[in-house]
Amino acid sequence: MKYGFIIDNRKCIGCHACTTACKSEHDVPVGVNRTYVKQVEKGEFPNTRRIFSVMRCNHCTDAPCVEICPVEALYTREDGIVDFDNNRCIGCKSCMQACPYDALYIDPDNNTAAKCNYCAHRVEVGREPACVSVCPEHAIIAGDMHNPSTEISELLARQAVKVRKPEKGTNPNLFYIDGDDASLIPEATAKSGPGLWNSQARGVGHYAKAAEKMLHSNDDVDLLQMSIDNEIQAAYQRKDSENPNYIDVLTGKARRVYDTPDKGILWGWEVSAYVFTKAIAAGAFLIPFLAIILGYEVSSTAKLWSAGISLVGLALTGLFLVMDLDRPDRFLNVLLRPQWNSWLVKGGYTITIFGLLITVWAGMTFFEIKTGETVLLWITAAFAILLAIYTAFLFAQAKGRDFWQSPTLPLHMLVHSVMAGVSIFVLASLIFGNESWMDILKNTMIIALIVNLFTMVTELTITHPTTAAKTVVKMITKGRYKNLFWVVTVMIGNIIPLVFLLVGNSEPLFIGSAVLVLVGIIATEKIWVEAPQRIPLA
Amino acid sequence: MGYKKPSFIENIAEKMGIIPNLHKEGYQKFDGDMRQFSDEEVAKMYENFPPPEKWDNWVEYDPKVWPKKEKKEYQIIPTTCFNCESACGLTAFIDKETQEVKKFEGNPHHPGSRGRNCAKGPATINQLTDPDRILFPLKRKGKRGDGEWERVTWDDALDTIATRIRKAILEDRHNEIAYHVGRPGKEKFMNWILQGWGIDGHNSHTNICSSGARFGYNLWYGYNRPSPDHANAKFILLVSAHLESGHYFNPHAQRIIEGKMKGAKLATMDPRLSNTASMSDYWMPSYPGTEAAVLLAMALIILEEGLYNRTYLENWTNWKQYMKARHSDKECTFENYIAAMIDEYKEFTPEYAEKESGVKAEMIIEIAHKIGEAGERFASHNWRAAGASNLGGWCVARALHFLTTLTGAVGAKGGTSPNSWNKFKPTQPNPPKPQKKWNELHFPKEYPLAFFEMSQLLPHFLKEGRGKMDVYFSRVFNPVWTYPDGFTWMEMYADESKFGLHAALTPTWNETAFYADFVLPMGLASERHDLNSYATHGGTWVAFRQPVLREAARRNGKPVKLTYESNPGEVWEEDEFFIELSWRIDPDGSMGIRKHFESPYRPGEKITIDEYYQYIFERVKGLPEKAKSEGITELQYMQKYGAFEIEKGESYKVNENELSADQLKGSKVDPENDVITKDGKAIGVMVNGKACVGFPTPSRKNEFYSQTMVDWKWPEYATPTYIKSHIHNEKLDKSKGEYVLVPTFRLPTLIHSRSGNAKWLVEISNRNPIWMHPDDAAKWNFKTGDLVKMNTDIGYFIDKVWVTQSMKPGVVACSHHIGRWRRPQDKIGNRWATNTVNIENDGNGGWKMNTMSGIKPFESHDKDSKRIFWKDGGVHQNITHAVHPDPISGMHCWHQRVRIEKPKEGEQYGDIFVDTNKSHEVYKEWMAMTRPAPGPNGERRPLWFERAFTPDKSPGGCYYIPKDEQ
Repeated sequence: MKYGFIIDNRKCIGCHACTTACKSEHDVPVGVNRTYVKQVEKGEFPNTRRIFSVMRCNHCTDAPCVEICPVEALYTREDGIVDFDNNRCIGCKSCMQACPYDALYIDPDNNTAAKCNYCAHRVEVGREPACVSVCPEHAIIAGDMHNPSTEISELLARQAVKVRKPEKGTNPNLFYIDGDDASLIPEATAKSGPGLWNSQARGVGHYAKAAEKMLHSNDDVDLLQMSIDNEIQAAYQRKDSENPNYIDVLTGKARRVYDTPDKGILWGWEVSAYVFTKAIAAGAFLIPFLAIILGYEVSSTAKLWSAGISLVGLALTGLFLVMDLDRPDRFLNVLLRPQWNSWLVKGGYTITIFGLLITVWAGMTFFEIKTGETVLLWITAAFAILLAIYTAFLFAQAKGRDFWQSPTLPLHMLVHSVMAGVSIFVLASLIFGNESWMDILKNTMIIALIVNLFTMVTELTITHPTTAAKTVVKMITKGRYKNLFWVVTVMIGNIIPLVFLLVGNSEPLFIGSAVLVLVGIIATEKIWVEAPQRIPLA
Repeated sequence: MGYKKPSFIENIAEKMGIIPNLHKEGYQKFDGDMRQFSDEEVAKMYENFPPPEKWDNWVEYDPKVWPKKEKKEYQIIPTTCFNCESACGLTAFIDKETQEVKKFEGNPHHPGSRGRNCAKGPATINQLTDPDRILFPLKRKGKRGDGEWERVTWDDALDTIATRIRKAILEDRHNEIAYHVGRPGKEKFMNWILQGWGIDGHNSHTNICSSGARFGYNLWYGYNRPSPDHANAKFILLVSAHLESGHYFNPHAQRIIEGKMKGAKLATMDPRLSNTASMSDYWMPSYPGTEAAVLLAMALIILEEGLYNRTYLENWTNWKQYMKARHSDKECTFENYIAAMIDEYKEFTPEYAEKESGVKAEMIIEIAHKIGEAGERFASHNWRAAGASNLGGWCVARALHFLTTLTGAVGAKGGTSPNSWNKFKPTQPNPPKPQKKWNELHFPKEYPLAFFEMSQLLPHFLKEGRGKMDVYFSRVFNPVWTYPDGFTWMEMYADESKFGLHAALTPTWNETAFYADFVLPMGLASERHDLNSYATHGGTWVAFRQPVLREAARRNGKPVKLTYESNPGEVWEEDEFFIELSWRIDPDGSMGIRKHFESPYRPGEKITIDEYYQYIFERVKGLPEKAKSEGITELQYMQKYGAFEIEKGESYKVNENELSADQLKGSKVDPENDVITKDGKAIGVMVNGKACVGFPTPSRKNEFYSQTMVDWKWPEYATPTYIKSHIHNEKLDKSKGEYVLVPTFRLPTLIHSRSGNAKWLVEISNRNPIWMHPDDAAKWNFKTGDLVKMNTDIGYFIDKVWVTQSMKPGVVACSHHIGRWRRPQDKIGNRWATNTVNIENDGNGGWKMNTMSGIKPFESHDKDSKRIFWKDGGVHQNITHAVHPDPISGMHCWHQRVRIEKPKEGEQYGDIFVDTNKSHEVYKEWMAMTRPAPGPNGERRPLWFERAFTPDKSPGGCYYIPKDEQ
C-alpha cells in the first residue's frame, strides 16, 4: 500500500476550497497552511495564462524531514503517509530546513511543527482526505498507487506527470498532470511584494507571537522582529523597491501573483551563535592538543583553562540550542527520544560525550592523574573535531538549503574552530600568562587564516550546481550581505589579522588580530546560516 | 520506530519518568471497528462519505490530538450553504459532547453540488464562531448612526415593528412598508408574507445584479434566467466568470469542466483574464460593452454560411410576425426571412466586430464555426459581467440567446434551457392573492420594462420627495457598501423623515446596519429554515436549509418551539420572525392577514415552521413515495437528507410538450399566428399540426421580433441589436486620462459583504488594487504598488496599481468585494476585514472618507484574531460610483468612466471623496433617457412580463395607471 496524490491541473480552477477544507478539518491557525494554491501568471496580453498549483507535503518516499527530525516526530507510515506527532516535537525547525518544498510550519497554538498528513485520521477510518472530498472539480486525486485498478494508478500510468524538484532525490509522491515549471520551480518567479489580492504586514507561524506583540502598537512601527525576504508594503508607506513584478511584466516572464505569507527566517541568531560558541568549545581543546602532539609542554593551568573555556563554550552552545527550540521544555527529547539518522542527535550526543570527556580530563589534570591521559586526549580530540564539524553534516541534511550541501563546509567549520581556539587562547593568556607552547599560536593562526580564505574563495567562486546556491553566492558577494561579508568577514575577520600577523610583531597587534578574527567568525556564521534561508522553497 | 515502539533509550527514559510516556495506551494501535468502508471503497479513496444510517452516531478520530487515537462522536445533520444563491449542500458535524458544530462538509445527496463545495462552504464555521457576531436583538441608543446599541428582547422588536406596520396598513400607507433584500437564499416565502399583508413591499438587489441579462433573455422567451447544460455541451460560451463566481458558481464550475474533459471547447468573453478565461480554450478580451457586436458578428456568419438549425428557426421563432411587421413588401417565406436577417446585420462583419471590440476577426470566425458545428449542444451564459455593466447591456443576453435559437440549442441536451424548467416551485398553505397595490418607489413609471425593482434609485426617489419608507427592512443587504453611491444612501438612511423605522435583518454587522434602528440577528447556514431550488444543471432538485442544532435537539428528544432557543445567543430566523410579526400585525384576523399564517392542519392556530415545510414537502412530486418507503414523513425525509432529486435531467424541449385534451377543451386557435388561447389567456401554439405548450411569450415562440418593444416606445430595438455602451471608446477622452473601470469582478473566496467575518477567506483575499496593463501604466510611469487617483463622475478614490498582462490595454479593473470599513464608534464588526475610517460631511453634499488605520489584530475568544498578519483592507470603490440605470432594463450599468491621475501631495491611500449633489445630477441625466409608461392599454408594464411579487392584474386595478395620471 502506498498512498500518493495527483493534482490534475486540467481541472483545477484555483478556487481555494482545498485550502479552507483543510483549515477546517485540522483547525489550522491563521497565517499558515497545510495546503494552498500558488498562482503564477505567464505570457503577454492577449496570450496570458494564470496557473494554479496546489502545494503541500509530497509525502516523499525518502523524506528528508523524517531523516533530519531528531526525535522521530516525523515518520513514514507503512502506507506511505508521512505523518507527525506533535507530542514529540521539540520545535527545532530542522524539518523546515530539510524539506525542499516548504511544506512544514510552526503551529503557533503549541509551537511544534505541522504539515499535511494526508488526513491520516480519516484514512484510518476509510475516508479520503478532506481536500479530496471538497474539490469541486475532483482535481485532487488520492489513492493507493500499488493497486493498479485505482484512479490514481490509472492516471499515473496514462498521463504525463511532473513532480517538484526531482533532483533532490526525495522521491515525492505528489504528481502534477499539466504541471507548469513556471509555477513548480520556485526560482522561475520572484517572491516579492503583495500579491493580487493579499499582502503580508506581520509575522505568521513561528513569528505569530511577534505579530501579537504588534497588537497594541502604532501601525507604522517597523516590523524587524522577523526577517523576511519579500518587501513588506505597509498600507500607508511605500518603500522604494526594485519591483521585479513590473520588470517581469515588461519582459513577459512568469510572475508570482498569489502566494501564502512568508514564514520568515526560522534559524536566527541563536543558531549562528551556537556555531560560534561551539567553535570556541572545540578550538579551546584542539589548540593545546595540537601543542601537545607537536611535543610542547602544556601546563596544568593551561589545561584547566582549556577545559574551562570548552565547558563554558559547551554550556553556551547548549543554552543557545535550547533557546532556539520552540519547545525548550522538551529539549531532553534530543537525547532521550533519539532518531539516530539525524545529525542533530549525533551532534547532541557529541556535545554530551565531549563535555564528559573534557570534565574527566579536567578532573585528571586537577588531581594530577597521568595514566591514560594520552588515550583520553586522542579520543577527546576526535570528539572535538566531530563537535566542530557535525553542524556541516546537519546542514547537509537540510535538503531545502542548496548552499549548505557543500563538501567544503566541514573544513570551513573545522578551520573556524582552529581560528577560534587560537584567538581565545591569545585572549586567555592575557589573564593566566604566556607559556612556551603559545609560540605555535601565531603560525597556526596564519595557516588557519590562509586555509579559511582559500576555503571561502573556492566555496564562493566554484560553479554551483543549482540556481538557489548561485543566488546565495550572489547575495553574499554582491547583494544584501555584501557589506557584512567584504568588510567584516573578509577584511576585518581575515585580511587585516593576516596582515597584522605577517607583518607586525607586537603583542597588541596579536591581541587585536584575535579579537578581529572572532568578530569575523561571528559575521561569517551569521551570513552562512541566514543567507540560504532567504531563498524561497516554493 | 518511536511512533510504534520506543527505542531502547526512550523506553528507559519513559519508564523512569524523565520524559512523558507516550506509549502508554498503545496509541497507534489499529482499531478494526473504526474502518467503516469496504476494501474497494477504501482503495477508490473518493466519495467515501459517512452513510446516512450512521449520521446520528458517526465516530471519527479527533485530528487535534492525532496520532493519539481519541474518538469523537458526531451527529451529522444536513443543511445548505447560505453564502451565495447556489445553496450548495452542507453537512454540519455536531460534536455530541459539546453540542457545537465542529465543521462543515458537503452533502452527497444534494444533486446540484454533489458533495462538493467552494472555499466559502467549509469557511461557514468561521462565520458561526466569529467573535464579532451579533448574538442578540439590538436597538439603537442615541441618534441613528451613533454606533451605540442596547440589547432588547425579540418581543420588544416584534411589538414595536408590528404596531407600526399595522398603523401604516390601516391608514392605507401600504407603499411605505418595504422589505429590501440582498441575498434571498429562499424560495417564495416572502411572497407569502408580503402578499399576505397585501403590500407591494418587496425590493431587491436585482437591478445592480442581473436585470440586464434577465431583460435580454426574457424578451426572447418569457423566462428570465438561463440554465446551460454544460456537462453535455460541445461548445460553451461564457460572457461571465462561472469558474470562479456568480450563480451558480460551484455547481456550474463542476459541470463546465466536466464538459471540457469530455471534449467541449470553452470560450470566455472578458476584458480581464479571469480564472475562467485562463482555463478557456479561447479568451476573447472584448472591450467592455462591445460583446453584443461580437455575438451579432457570429450570428451573421452562422446565417451567411447556413450553419443555422432551419427546423428550429422555422418552428420556434416568430419569424412570420417579423416579416409581416418589417418586410411586408416581401413574400413571407423562410428564405426571405434569412435574407432579411442577413441584411439587417450586414454591418456586423468580423472586421467591424474586431474594430469595436479588439477581439481578432479570425477568432470570431473560428468560434462562430465551432458554435455552428456544436449545433444543439451549445451552452452559453450571461448573468452579470457585460450585461450588468453597460448601457444597453441587455443586448448581450439578447444576442447570446439569438445564437442559441440559431443553433436550435434552446432547451436542448447540451444546450441552454430556461431555468424554470429545472426549478421547483412550492405550493404554500393558505396562499394569499396578489396584492392590489403598486409601489412606485419600487416600480416607477419611468421604468416599465425593468426587470425587478429600481432599488438603486430608492434614495434618489426619496430625495426627490416621491414618498417615504415608514417601516423598512434591510435584509442580508448592505447598500451603503455594495451599491453605487453609498453616501446618498447614508444621507437618506440618516434622515428619519425618509426612513421612519429601519430594521436590519442580518447575520453579520455591515455598513448599512450601522444606520439602522434595530439590528436583528438572523441565522447563518446551519441556523435557519429555507427552501432552495435552483437551475444548476439539466435536472430539478429541492433542498432544505435547517437549524442543525434544533434538529439535533429534536432527534435527541428535546424539541424546541422556536429556533432561537437552539441557536447561539438569541440568533433567530426570518421564517419564524415574519410569521410571528404577521400575527402581531393582525392579532384578531380582522385585517385579513392572519388567516394566511394559520396552520393548515390545526385551523385557527398559528402555523409552526414544521407545518409550513411539511405542507410544501408533501406536495413535491415523488417525495411522498420516497418518504413512505422509509417510514418517515416528507419533512423528516428532508431533515434527514437535506435534499431531494425531483427529476434527474430529462426535461429538455419542454416547449414541445403537447397540451392534453383536457387543457385544450374550450380553447381556440388564432389563424393569424397559431396561438392557442383559453379563457382569454394564451396557453400554447400550433406547430406542425401539434398543439404544443410553447413559451410564455405573446407569440408562444422565441421572439426574434418583439412587438412589445414597439408597443412600449422602443421600436428601434425590436430585434436583437447592439447599443454602444456609455463608456464606449468614442465617449472617453484618452488624452485626459479617461478610461473605463471594470469594478464588478469577484473572487472565488468572497461573497459581497458577507464573507468579511470569515477569517480563512479574508486571510486569502484582503486587498483590491487597480489592474492595469503595462502600456497604460507607462503613461503615468506607474509601477506596481504606486498610488493612483481614480476620478469618477461624482468623486474619487485612491488605490494602488497592479501592473499586469492580464488586463486588456485601455481598460482598468478593480475587485468588487474588498474595502470594508467601520467608523471609530463601531467597536466591533468584521474586524478581520475592516479598515477604520473617518467620515466627514460638509453639510452640502460633500463627503470625505479617509482611512485611519488598516486591519489590526485584536483580542477575542478566537486565538487567531491576534494573528492577523494583513493590514491592507483595500479601498471602497463602489461608494464613488454614480448610479447608471439603463433606461430599458433598469440595470445599474456598473462600468464607470474614470479619469486616472497621480495623486497630489498629501493625498493618501484609501482617500475617498464624493459630491452627492453631482450624483443626483447624474441620476437625472440617466432618467432623462427613459420612455415612461403607460403602455398601449394604460398598463404600467407589459402583462406578459414577469414581475417580482406580481400584483393583481385585473383591468382598472393597480396594474394600470389611472387616466388622470397618464
